[in-house]
Amino acid sequence: MAHPATAQAPGVRIDGLTVVYRTPAGELPAVRDVSLTLEPGSITGIVGESGSGKSTLALSLLNAVQPPGRIAAGSVEIDGLGDVARFEGERLRKARGAHIGYVFQAAQNSLNPLKTVGKQLLDLGRSHGVDDLRGLVREARELLGRMGLDGARVLDSHQHELSGGMRQRVGIMLALVLNAHLVVLDEPTTALDMITQANILRIVREVHAERGLTTLVITHDIGVVAEVADRLAVMYGGRLVEQGPTREVLGAPSHPYTRGLITAIPRLTGDIDEARALPGRPPTLVTVPKEGCVFRERCALRMDVCDTDDPAAAEHGARVVACHAVKVREHA
Amino acid sequence: MITGNGITKTFRQRGDVLGGREVRALRGVDFAIPRGGAASFIGESGCGKTTLGRIIAGLETYDEGEIGIDGTSMSPLTPKQRQPHFRKIQMIHQDPYSALNPTRTVHQTLGAPLALRARQTGRSRQWMDERAAEVLSLVGLDPGTVLSRYPHQLSGGMRQRVVIARALTVDPEMLVADEAVSMIDVSLRLGILALLKDLRERLGVSVLFITHDVATARYIGDDGELYVIYRGQVVERGPVDTVIADPVHPYTQSLLSAIPVLHGLERPGEQPVVPLESLDESQPDTGCLFARRCPFRSGRCESERPALGATRGVPQEHACFHPERRSVIARPMSGV
Amino acid sequence: MSVLLEGSTTSATMRRNFWRGVWRVMRRKPSRLAGAVILLGFAVMAVFGPMFYPEHLPRDLAAGVYAQPSAEHWFGTDGQGRDVVALVVTGSRYVLLSALVTAVVTVVLGAAIGLFAGFRRGRWDTALMRLTDMKLTIPGLPLLLVLSTIWKFGSAVEMGLLLGLLGWGAVARAVRAQTLSLRERGFIEAARGLGLSTTHIVGKELLPSMAPYVAMNMLIAVTGAVYAQVGLFFLGVLPYEADNWGVMLNLAVFGGGAMTTTAALPYMLAPLLAILLLTLGIVLVVDAMDEIFNPRLREE
Repeated sequence: MAHPATAQAPGVRIDGLTVVYRTPAGELPAVRDVSLTLEPGSITGIVGESGSGKSTLALSLLNAVQPPGRIAAGSVEIDGLGDVARFEGERLRKARGAHIGYVFQAAQNSLNPLKTVGKQLLDLGRSHGVDDLRGLVREARELLGRMGLDGARVLDSHQHELSGGMRQRVGIMLALVLNAHLVVLDEPTTALDMITQANILRIVREVHAERGLTTLVITHDIGVVAEVADRLAVMYGGRLVEQGPTREVLGAPSHPYTRGLITAIPRLTGDIDEARALPGRPPTLVTVPKEGCVFRERCALRMDVCDTDDPAAAEHGARVVACHAVKVREHA
Repeated sequence: MITGNGITKTFRQRGDVLGGREVRALRGVDFAIPRGGAASFIGESGCGKTTLGRIIAGLETYDEGEIGIDGTSMSPLTPKQRQPHFRKIQMIHQDPYSALNPTRTVHQTLGAPLALRARQTGRSRQWMDERAAEVLSLVGLDPGTVLSRYPHQLSGGMRQRVVIARALTVDPEMLVADEAVSMIDVSLRLGILALLKDLRERLGVSVLFITHDVATARYIGDDGELYVIYRGQVVERGPVDTVIADPVHPYTQSLLSAIPVLHGLERPGEQPVVPLESLDESQPDTGCLFARRCPFRSGRCESERPALGATRGVPQEHACFHPERRSVIARPMSGV
Repeated sequence: MSVLLEGSTTSATMRRNFWRGVWRVMRRKPSRLAGAVILLGFAVMAVFGPMFYPEHLPRDLAAGVYAQPSAEHWFGTDGQGRDVVALVVTGSRYVLLSALVTAVVTVVLGAAIGLFAGFRRGRWDTALMRLTDMKLTIPGLPLLLVLSTIWKFGSAVEMGLLLGLLGWGAVARAVRAQTLSLRERGFIEAARGLGLSTTHIVGKELLPSMAPYVAMNMLIAVTGAVYAQVGLFFLGVLPYEADNWGVMLNLAVFGGGAMTTTAALPYMLAPLLAILLLTLGIVLVVDAMDEIFNPRLREE
């Protein structure tokens, strides 16, 4: 296995990725024709509701989409590794963990309840052929200490002895301990309360900077992305509808869905009636429109063309937006 | 009017041979929620807010203190006698998936409490059907399409609406909503919150909202009261907007400081407060419960516990020896 | 108003939908249909089969004893020259009736005790579970052996009752565990908060959620009961009074020497095949229970 010494902060280029799931109604796309670039050293946040395809997209980064799902088209190029969408077997297993760290949803169920954290760490090390297990433990303890935990104590603990915030930090440690420089965090703060969430987000930011990582955060909570991400990508019905620098997108959202999501957030100050609910409900794999724009049924800017043509993602400065109405406005 | 005085609750966890650990979930809590009013309990998970909500809904017993429902004290009553009083307070659970029986249709789910009521008041089957349709319309669902459905055929948001409709079948005086939107898709959350707000206005139902998300609490009842609960004690209590804009307790300030800032739309608060340590309930209970984590603690805080009360010049009640207003929340950027 | 009409006919509609759902679930896998056909066949055999034969089966003197299979006697004849197939058919009523009684007693007692203990908790729970523990420690077979010395088990219902009274412990334990976890669910709590009666909560909310489980246990109890009583008769601790597959096995092995010579082999195989087929039918149908009682799986 070649060890790319220059693996510091790899860039990732997802191009035309389509992931389909086999259902009784045929193969349906959970992610459709998504192109997204993660710049080396950046934090990208993907926001979406249930059924938006955000978790499937994240799993594609590890080529870990489980049957009945499969990557049907497109590529996932990771610097120093190649197109992981083509990886198989042992090569794929080695890439996960060693190059790509994955932190599961709030780390609730990803730890083995019967083994101490330390034992699981050693298992991880052995399965990746780490010779210096002492060094691995030292590294783990340092990482945990960096995140404000008593490393030795945590390694001796079982899952049930750790609080939600501690588990999440253990998850981050396990994702980083093999020196991965590409990290995917899936819903890192779901089920955590505000203060713990703020702590975890601060840790994500700091560790990201200190270790020189490329980070992808998957969440349904715009607030989480607003706190940590440099770039924001919004998914809806398997499509990437808008992406751009976080502050720009939040300050002046282009896509009607992004705008709807932001206006639906109740705020701490100002007139409470400014917050407005988005009509309709998010589509599922089965109900997502087969042709035309996936968002049209809930859209205030719907035009005739939206029923027939799926809007292509078009660049508007630093922003990429897939919407007919936005295109019309730009050209007007 | 629902009132509580000095409510305490201690859970005894069954432990090993040496005896179990005691968890003091509530340490003497007072509250008062007027008819048609709104109140919110906020705090970290494990602070006791859910236990208090369950006690108020009659789903959990309390050790000491007094709960009054429309002037009737619950303490001297037997569980059977309490039941009709507590029925006026209906709980909306966090998880709309487990709150509905998967083997029963919406019609059956609403039918059971309606049948009970029809029997008690001598009303007809037709009244039941009309009432079922009525409560579904109240929560914004179309009775014709929803009645014959099983829960799995409904989305999370629709399920939560059915749960609310079920609560309305008994004409409740108050709804207790415990994190009622946290498991619902983001774009649908506001719809549920708006529904609760709407029910308050249209039916005069009071709403007790239990959450760690202060902004949603504000949305439901900006005219109500906010109770900030920390380790079983109310540490700050006052009108929602006052507590949010000018919190005086360092714990409230930490909670509000932790709310993500929508950079690009908002600028961060000027004096954010970050707790010194994370919550560790195994620490001794002497002095102020927050002292160990508090950046502003003094010697007095470690030996003496402040009680909830008012001080001059502070509009809200608080339990702190060193109350000081700090502006911690994010503000909208000018021009947006 | 359409809503009202729907309301008044709902229970009939729902029943129709349920059976339509059952049919859909059964059709999903051919194996399930095969299982159902097997079970139906056994039921018909037990109910009507014995009617086609005289009280005392005739001896076929032309074929002789332990005759080999032929067009006339598919599984040959027994030690007295009686047709083996006829013996299996006439014996099935006792076997299946007692197994059914056992299953019903096991499930009704087990579910009732489990539900009550789990729902009431506290003192009732402790008392009932102690009772269950004690019952579980009583070794079944030795007790049956002792009982058989004083009781002749001439009636299938008696046999079934006894086996049922011995067998409910495991079901009670499992149902109690399920009840304990279900009662913490939101919908049970909501039902209590709405002031619904305990009868409603147990009968309409808890029990339907456990239906697949209870139904599975019931079917499995049938196989257990068949094995238990056939075993008893085979061991010969019970008198040969009853026509029973176990008696056939006993006679084939100890009387006909089926284990050593081939003559009585078909005589032994016939009841064994019947038991095997019955078990197969049950196993195939059990597979459908989860989907039948879960509305989500039923409709999909």
